[in-house]
Amino acid sequence: MSAAPVPGTLEMAPSGAADRARPVKAGLILFALLAIVAFLGAIAIGPLSIAPGRVLAVIADAVWGEGASLTGAALRERVVVMDVRLPRAMLGALVGAGTAVAGAIMQGVFRNALADPGLVGIAPGAGLAAVAWVVFGGAVAHLLPLGLQGLGLSLAAFAGGLLTTLVIARLATRGGQTSVATLLFAGLALGALASAGTGVMVFIASEQQTREFLFWTMGSLGGATWLKAALAAPFVFALVALSPFLARGLDAMALGEAEAFHVGIDVNRLKRICVVAVAAGVGAAVAAAGVVAFIGLMVPHLARLVIGPGHRALLPAAALLGAAVVLGADILARMIAAPAELPLGVVTALIGAPFFLWLLMGRRAFAG
Amino acid sequence: MHPSGLSARGVSVAIRGKRLVSDVDLDVVPGTVTILVGPNGAGKSTLLKALTGEMRLAAGRVTLDGADIHAMPPRDLAFRRAVLPQAAEVAFPFTVEEVIAIGLIGAQAPDRAAHVARLLQQVDLPGFGGRRYDSLSGGERQRVQLARVLAQIDCARRAYPDGAAPPAFLFLDEPTSSLDLGHQLTVLALAREHARAGGGVLAVLHDLNLAAMVADRMVVLAGGRVVAEGAPGTVLTDDVLARAFGVKVRVGAVPVGPFVLPQSIGAEGLRP
Amino acid sequence: MLGTCGASASEIRPQDAAAQGAARDARIVSIGGAVTEILFALGVGDKVVAVDQTSQFPAAARALPQVGYARALSPEGVLSAGPSLIIAIEGAGPKSTLDVLKAASVPVVIVPEVHTPEGVVEKIRAIAKAVGEDARGRALADAVRADFAAVEAAVTALPTRPKAVFVLAASGGSATVGGTGTSADAMLRLAGATNAMASVHGYKPAVDEAAMAADPDAVVVMKGSGQELPPETIFALPAFMGTPAARDRRHVAMWGSYLLGFGPRTPQAVLDLARALHPGARLADLPPRAWADGQ
Repeated sequence: MSAAPVPGTLEMAPSGAADRARPVKAGLILFALLAIVAFLGAIAIGPLSIAPGRVLAVIADAVWGEGASLTGAALRERVVVMDVRLPRAMLGALVGAGTAVAGAIMQGVFRNALADPGLVGIAPGAGLAAVAWVVFGGAVAHLLPLGLQGLGLSLAAFAGGLLTTLVIARLATRGGQTSVATLLFAGLALGALASAGTGVMVFIASEQQTREFLFWTMGSLGGATWLKAALAAPFVFALVALSPFLARGLDAMALGEAEAFHVGIDVNRLKRICVVAVAAGVGAAVAAAGVVAFIGLMVPHLARLVIGPGHRALLPAAALLGAAVVLGADILARMIAAPAELPLGVVTALIGAPFFLWLLMGRRAFAG
Repeated sequence: MHPSGLSARGVSVAIRGKRLVSDVDLDVVPGTVTILVGPNGAGKSTLLKALTGEMRLAAGRVTLDGADIHAMPPRDLAFRRAVLPQAAEVAFPFTVEEVIAIGLIGAQAPDRAAHVARLLQQVDLPGFGGRRYDSLSGGERQRVQLARVLAQIDCARRAYPDGAAPPAFLFLDEPTSSLDLGHQLTVLALAREHARAGGGVLAVLHDLNLAAMVADRMVVLAGGRVVAEGAPGTVLTDDVLARAFGVKVRVGAVPVGPFVLPQSIGAEGLRP
Repeated sequence: MLGTCGASASEIRPQDAAAQGAARDARIVSIGGAVTEILFALGVGDKVVAVDQTSQFPAAARALPQVGYARALSPEGVLSAGPSLIIAIEGAGPKSTLDVLKAASVPVVIVPEVHTPEGVVEKIRAIAKAVGEDARGRALADAVRADFAAVEAAVTALPTRPKAVFVLAASGGSATVGGTGTSADAMLRLAGATNAMASVHGYKPAVDEAAMAADPDAVVVMKGSGQELPPETIFALPAFMGTPAARDRRHVAMWGSYLLGFGPRTPQAVLDLARALHPGARLADLPPRAWADGQ
């Protein structure tokens, strides 16, 4: 028997680092505090400078106020806090939590710390549907209910991501058995197909449409509205609420699929539930904010470094840390080039990629 | 009246049309240790997988107290049998205690740490609870996996009121492959103890001496078929070994040079 | 979503905003290069407090805070400039940002984008109305219309119609060209040339052989924004090898906002382009215009 790790398994902490009790509770409290601080920061900080006390007053007034009609600067502050920052912070927390939990679940299902929700085709599928909407959506937008017409791109992306994942899951399931390897290859193949379709769409698209799509792929919370947050919320909440029921199964999966079955896990059912839940949760996040890079990969890793790989704590920890990281990155995205803003996905990739490399290098140093 | 215990009737297993196990009848009787031996590629591990419900059958039936195990929910099955894999990698940096806790099924006992400590004592890894699984040697990992399997058996027993638990079955796939002699004996002693307490054991072993020492019954598999079964004394014959392994060995012949047999430790050696 | 913008997407029509804009302390956020040029040409450049990234002219506009790409405006970014009026070219957005601006009671005027001389005049008229400078607007519109007419008359009289191709980008050795429906196509036609790549629609990578078969007499590229394509690069492309353009080294580089902006300087741009595409032709100068001076 070999002592080498499973191929592709990244194991960041040096051996022996976890030989003491893991700070699970402390870690969860830390991540919760980070999420709260990031959320408060997201509603207190912005290109339009409003004193933090004033922000609270504006919220209090909006919630409990007389509803007196405001004008000028007061109205502007109210709009910025209530219609821009709050829905944006809510959406950022949802996107971060959903993407990070989904990443942790996918890594558990694939038994690989490099797995990413993208493996099951959500991003390419959503991308194809999004660009198709950008190009052709104008012709069918009037078919949507009036309140949702502005959300055509998001709805198309959601449907595209979910549909692609379901097709992949279907392809990987034969006689009730869902093969993780087939899931991976079908994901790659369909992802490539969707990317090719995206290429065709980009070719058809006008210069402006191409740019609009490009901005979408870079991920942004820029278009956040209460409606978008409200539409994304049920999917992310469902994913997070489901996660305690997946924890034991995912822990057992770490030993191997056969071993998970032997300790009483219905492995095929677990895989199907995970894929569908992840597709819905990430699909909603991608639909609302485009592709926010590296969150699904990086956040579960970070959380695992602090609180260990046990999924009962890891999944909620990833949710909290994911929310904190996305909100923090979005503050940077809004402030660095203010009054213009950088795409959020660019910021997360700029932070995430070097961080990831640093972890890898650190690990190599330990491994000799 | 259903047959009690775990039994296979006419079991065949095929992968991509190739028959690996053909028409096997086999019973794992509670209170006994059954050892499966045979040459490489005989289908031992495949048969074990068919008996645990992990692998589908091409033909035949495996029943547990009369019920088809392939139709039983995985959860119900987990309360009746536990399986020690041949080798197990763990995908993430779990600690030993966390790996063992995966075997804790059903209602969680309040004394998880104490329970795990006791199991670690049983497999001779005291104080290893906080160690990282991936930092252990192959033999240590194998014993951690055994502790996990024992944890599952413990939980299965506790899920029933005192004394009412049906017999649980322990499947061991080459449980001694990475172990030194002392720990091989420790593991086999634990298997014997499980049988003594009323459970059934089916283990795949390569070492015929260890097999002869621990088995109540032996089953010899070759080419996917049972070529002999019965008490070790009736199975371990020159003729059976020649047929199954294709080598001419003589049972009971004493070599000229020094030799060490595990049996020499006596019955004491298999007491945990 | 796209293409449905236009004037219909404007929540406040220019006349409603006129009273606002006329105020002495108007603070205008200008979205679109042509919009910014027109505001400065109307003499209200000092009231512009922020611009988008395509507003590169006049020089004073480049010193103003930038709110980013016209189609991906950040609502808080725009509001942080403290605007009392937002004038944006058609297609600016996204809609969620326009909704927020509307909720904050900031008037948004959407200026239609049409790649014709009359389209430019219409832009001037709409913007002048929005800022309450109708008289100056009429004067500017008349001058621009007269300039367009003068250039058109001169160009129409030219004996030849050279074939030209507009190259937007040349990454990876293939040329992205301006086909039918682009502002580049409109400029080529106004300058008395035929678009050699009229068979393509929009900005598309051209098949090398198709570009070769089109046999262009000249290649037009953009200057500025660090994406200039020098003759060495252009004529090294397989697409243009052996074409008359390559043989004669006929390579025209003009500032992007000048060439494609469809603002008040467009008549001058048409004239410059026509002179470059018709070497040897005698085309009279346009009268000097204050808004067309400088870089």
